[in-house]
Amino acid sequence: MRAGLTQADLSERTGRDRSVIARWEQGVASPPVESLLACVHACGYDIPLVLQPIDTRLDDELRQGAAMAPIERVRELQDKLARERRS
Amino acid sequence: MARARQQPPVPFDPYQVFQALDRHHVQYVVIGAFARVIHGTRETTHAIDITPSMRADNQRRLAQALADLDARPTGDDPADADAPRAYATRAGALAIVPIPAGTRGYDDLRRQATRENIGQSCRPQVATPGDLARMLGALDDPASQERLLRLRRLIELDRSRGLAIEF
Repeated sequence: MRAGLTQADLSERTGRDRSVIARWEQGVASPPVESLLACVHACGYDIPLVLQPIDTRLDDELRQGAAMAPIERVRELQDKLARERRS
Repeated sequence: MARARQQPPVPFDPYQVFQALDRHHVQYVVIGAFARVIHGTRETTHAIDITPSMRADNQRRLAQALADLDARPTGDDPADADAPRAYATRAGALAIVPIPAGTRGYDDLRRQATRENIGQSCRPQVATPGDLARMLGALDDPASQERLLRLRRLIELDRSRGLAIEF
């Protein structure tokens, strides 16, 4: 989007099928690294690939959040805000 | 889009906001911090951000819903119809963001948005984690980048449960 390209433009520049690009964009499937880099380069950008340790400090908190239903997540937020108001 | 806000003078009641929008049949997608909370990022927010359809009839319905919520603009009224507008309502802060950063607005977001049951008969359309990441990625400030890392990690943890790779 930032490069102002359509899926058809990207398909033409990278040689990847437009329907596959659409599935990547929709999050239905992930592109392999070489396809991702080809798309990024076709848009005039680059992704410097640098190895970095994964920050897993939030994982427990996020896993708990992921295990809740949306209704419980909103309730948790409201409880948090109510506690803030009281303190 | 909502930034971290101080605790507002009125208690934040998202249900009142969504019920007012639904009562007036407003078409919108929830974005920003509240949408991320619905997806499980466990952030704290006192505001709702929405991207409404910009069609004239929907804008009329939105104006009625805002009146219903006693909404008052909290900033200058921008001349550009696509500029974000912030309101203080009797149920807390509400931001109207017609074209969130990195997106093309309502029609772009609603294609993938999902209806989420958040209780009290409210099932708003919520932008996907991918679209929410797209918005944060288009913002350069450190706070947005921190939120993006949290959201990406949530997406990765979710995806680690199984996603096809297509060449």
